[in-house]
Amino acid sequence: MSLSLEMRKLKRTGYFFAFLAGGLLASAFPLVNMLVRPENFVSLPGDPFTILVDANWQMMAMLNILISICGACMMYHTEYADNGMQKMEVLPVRPSSLFWGKFAIGSLVLAVMILMETSVLSGCAVHWFPAYQFDFLQVAKSAGFQWMVTLPTVMLMLVLSSACRNMWVSLGIGVILVFTLSILPQDNLILSFFPFSSPYQTFSTAVEKGRQFLLLGVCAVETIGLGLVALLYQRVRRWYQ
Amino acid sequence: MNIIETQNLTKSYGDFTAVSHLNLHIRKGSVYGFLGPNGAGKSTTMKMFLGLTHPTEGTFSIDGKTYPSDRMDILKEVGSFIEAPAFYGNLTGEENLDIIRKILGLPKSSVKDALELVGLTQFRKRLAKKYSLGMKQRLGLAGALIARPPILILDEPTNGLDPVGIHEIRTLIKSLPRQFDCTVLVSSHLLSEVELMADDIGILNHGRLLFEGTMEDLKSNACAAGFPTDNLEDTFLAMIDEDNRKGGGTKCP
Repeated sequence: MSLSLEMRKLKRTGYFFAFLAGGLLASAFPLVNMLVRPENFVSLPGDPFTILVDANWQMMAMLNILISICGACMMYHTEYADNGMQKMEVLPVRPSSLFWGKFAIGSLVLAVMILMETSVLSGCAVHWFPAYQFDFLQVAKSAGFQWMVTLPTVMLMLVLSSACRNMWVSLGIGVILVFTLSILPQDNLILSFFPFSSPYQTFSTAVEKGRQFLLLGVCAVETIGLGLVALLYQRVRRWYQ
Repeated sequence: MNIIETQNLTKSYGDFTAVSHLNLHIRKGSVYGFLGPNGAGKSTTMKMFLGLTHPTEGTFSIDGKTYPSDRMDILKEVGSFIEAPAFYGNLTGEENLDIIRKILGLPKSSVKDALELVGLTQFRKRLAKKYSLGMKQRLGLAGALIARPPILILDEPTNGLDPVGIHEIRTLIKSLPRQFDCTVLVSSHLLSEVELMADDIGILNHGRLLFEGTMEDLKSNACAAGFPTDNLEDTFLAMIDEDNRKGGGTKCP
């Protein structure tokens, strides 16, 4: 029930439109890249899908992160702007179910974005690399991996947004984190585990370095751990309100 | 029989005590006027009843249920309206109430009934953020009344309403115990307002309960203490003034 309830609350906020527009923008990036300078990629050796992912994913991941930041801020701005959150707190509904409902929506729209993006990447591979044989499993694995490694970022942004009544504070923190972590070296194992950094890891590179299961495991633990921190924070906050 | 009882209920923020050792007794089926100047601790007390803030000390029970173990059961029985109206500005009045209806598992007709009860039917399709302050108050009241709860906690529900609106809401609150068999705890800083709708009153100043009883008890107590009794507003002001002079305002251990 909380999922449909949370969906209703987002009516007229532009939330779903923002994700759709973000997904289209990120999907357009590899397409434009191939239209403008195909010769830079078609001559490269290796698997075409991997070539395209390696060439475009940094920018696409950054767009995914930025849209997820905006999404989390919009969700909690809707709650705080007219005290809707306070009304929810005096109704017999667990704050945890509302929080996880928001996370479920954030993860679902992210999944839709990533599906759009990987579909365009595989479409580009089919179109510009005549020898490429479409491999559904490879595309699905890649999309699933990119989704999983972006979840800690979605969760951390929700945690920050739920803690800040002023949307501009959480938005500012999110943008600072994006740019701070994007300038750190991406090949460092420890740094690659951080939310805001893990979404830049690609499936092919992770497999090449044998880190894919480690990354997935760490990201799952981070996502659940951050979710629990948010719930604990909500409880503690009541003492000081 | 008391439906709400507190035992030494206290809430402190650092050195400041917002509510100090409060012992309230609210009779079932009554309208209890919770009176006090701004900052007396009325809203803090109500927030504690709803679990919006934790008591620092003391306990309370609502319909035999205690906090924090029975918080969810308490919330199922209480309709509330705290401080400012709380709603989703991006949704219409009707959509806001429909969210509450879904959470409480009520039939669809309850939204229509609640809108009718507070006189918002013709504005149901308007976005809540475009409502006037009075309409927002009414929407807040509709949200509190939608489930016909046995207990209603209303924090200054007539704030922002015009005289006609105040009269309507006052009449509605007064009729609730009879109409829906419920108990109402209503706060205000205006004795003249509480006087017109409450059966019992509790007067709070600087977090301390100065008086609890019926209006008649208040008059006789005030008379005995030498306070003016011709006008209850003056009685109230004299009580508060006397308490402030005794140092009630600084008594924050």
